[in-house]
Amino acid sequence: MSRRRPLLLIAPAAGLIFFFVMLPYINVLVMSLRMPGADGKPYGPGFGMEAYAQFFAENYYLSALPHTLWLGIVTTAVCLVLGYPLALHIATASRRWRGLLYGIVLSPLLVGIVIRSYGWTILLGNTGVINKTLKDLGIITRPLKLMYNDFGVVLALAHVFLPFMVLPLLASLQGIDPAIGQAARSLGASRLTVFRRVTFPVSMPGVQSGCILVFVLAISSYVTPALIGGMRVKTTTILVVDALIDQFLWPFGSAMALVLAVSAGLIVIAFAMLTRMKWK
Amino acid sequence: MTEVSLLSLVKSYGGAPALRGISLNVGHGQFVSLLGPSGCGKSTTLRCIAGFEEVTDGRILFDGKDISRKLPEKRDIGMVFQSYALFPHLTVAQNLAFGLEMRKVPKAQIAERVAKTLDLVQLTPYAGRYPKALSGGQQQRVALGRALVIEPAILLLDEPLANLDAKLRDEMRGFIRDLQKRVGITTIYVTHDQNEAMTMSDLVVVMFDGDIAQAGTPEEIYNTPATEQVARFVGNANILDLPVAASGAGMAEVTLPGGAALSVPAPATPGARLGIMARPEQIALADAGQGHLQGRVTRRLFGGGYIDYEIATDCGVLAVQTPANVLAGEGAAVGLVLDPARLWPVARDAAA
Ligand SMILES: Nc1ncnc2c1ncn2[C@@H]1O[C@H](COP(=O)(O)OP(=O)(O)O)[C@@H](O)[C@H]1O
Ligand SMILES: [Mg+2]
Repeated sequence: MSRRRPLLLIAPAAGLIFFFVMLPYINVLVMSLRMPGADGKPYGPGFGMEAYAQFFAENYYLSALPHTLWLGIVTTAVCLVLGYPLALHIATASRRWRGLLYGIVLSPLLVGIVIRSYGWTILLGNTGVINKTLKDLGIITRPLKLMYNDFGVVLALAHVFLPFMVLPLLASLQGIDPAIGQAARSLGASRLTVFRRVTFPVSMPGVQSGCILVFVLAISSYVTPALIGGMRVKTTTILVVDALIDQFLWPFGSAMALVLAVSAGLIVIAFAMLTRMKWK
Repeated sequence: MTEVSLLSLVKSYGGAPALRGISLNVGHGQFVSLLGPSGCGKSTTLRCIAGFEEVTDGRILFDGKDISRKLPEKRDIGMVFQSYALFPHLTVAQNLAFGLEMRKVPKAQIAERVAKTLDLVQLTPYAGRYPKALSGGQQQRVALGRALVIEPAILLLDEPLANLDAKLRDEMRGFIRDLQKRVGITTIYVTHDQNEAMTMSDLVVVMFDGDIAQAGTPEEIYNTPATEQVARFVGNANILDLPVAASGAGMAEVTLPGGAALSVPAPATPGARLGIMARPEQIALADAGQGHLQGRVTRRLFGGGYIDYEIATDCGVLAVQTPANVLAGEGAAVGLVLDPARLWPVARDAAA
């Protein structure tokens, strides 16, 4: 009886995942194996590997994949580099400050994604706040290219997903017994060495989950790269939406979505193995 | 081996004093306990010595040299924490090696010293395990080994046994004391458990409210406590409040409610009242009508090798501990015999 209870408790979550994650995935898989349609039909009769063949044959689509994964990796790295000091600071701040800083970190999540991305276009555009100010000050004559390129996309993505890096890091850092750092100090380690040899490695679980979260969210995001990248930054996710909604190519779009998911999955697995912690 | 001196050490947290100017000398290789109730400043003292707290005033000397301004990593200290504070991402052997690596000891020597210390703390079979896979007692020994392997000038322990169960605690108590004697390291040990302090220490320092109330050998603290507060904190104490009948030559004669007179070593003026301490095992039972004081047994608790009595007398309810073969039933009238040689006058608490 007591061994059954945990199973019973996860049943609702398991059901939810089955109906809303597994079933759609199976549906996508089946769709990707259908033949292309004719006369404006999204797909035709019969099954085959046509969609995959088309994806791997056309450089326009194929080359977007590594580019998308690269944008995800860079966004993750930027979030880690910006988020770690922030999390460290919040973890050691006094209780009053902690609440305030926590709120600031979470604040990007309070604004809708479209509005937030639009906000970045106001800042980064050729006639946006930054370029206009620099021009008025006479520092530049021609506008800096701040958007419609990878730079702008990574910047906006990092802004959106920073909380997803900071929160797991914070949880990890706050779980560390402060006496551990003191023990290291008493054993002869300087503050910097304590960070390098103790704090950072012990916070690895947070680094791991933060990086995986941000990476997965970044490569699958649509609105931000579409708005900030304009037509010039083509990510696989944007191409998938194009194929499914604009071009009505359901098998092709599905195949592309699956290839992206599998590639991302492989990268996540490789990352998890590289950062495996035997001590957990 | 190092001598540690605290000179009028003051530590305040935003104006609230945690240490009110304590002075203490810990000799070469001595085992000194800081004993006191929670919040009296024991850990603060230790943290000041270790360098984790900046002292507000006063000085800390190691072998006569002032180290109060030194960084913790420069103080050459081994510290054991109540939470053990092991490095979770390092194996037992790596935990021990950490301090040696910080000291840039050559690799071969590190391996050798780690192996020797693992043997000392009886953890050789666990060298490759992570802390998570160890019991509380084993983690405790890793912490001890990690502090000792660097051969520090002094060893600081902050309630190291508080998280262990009673049986293991007794075992570890003997283990730590033996180890300390073998290594001969100057040791400061923080505890709120008077039993622990008494059994392990060369010197017990009793602290209350940021001040040292008394420092002395365990015997001195137990038999000749300076104040009623110390007497009550260190073991069970009966304090009899008695009038002084006569005095002279440093002795005072006090009279008990039944008329019996006792002399105790205290300067006092006739007519004043003295607080006289008698430990439960320093009072013997006799037949009713005999002894210094009469009473009635209100409670009897069999403790195996001894019996704890509570006896109502004209001096209040007294605790008496006798060997298990001395039998008096609850409700029985008994006489109490005090041991004049062991009675000790104590300063009464202001509140009492
Ligand atoms: N970081 C701190 N900030 C403010 N007050 C503190 C701090 N650390 C300790 N105190 C106070 O100092 C006093 C002594 O604490 P401590 O040394 O930890 O006592 P203990 O004898 O239980 O180890 C307590 O009243 C405690 O509240
Ligand atoms: Mg304490």
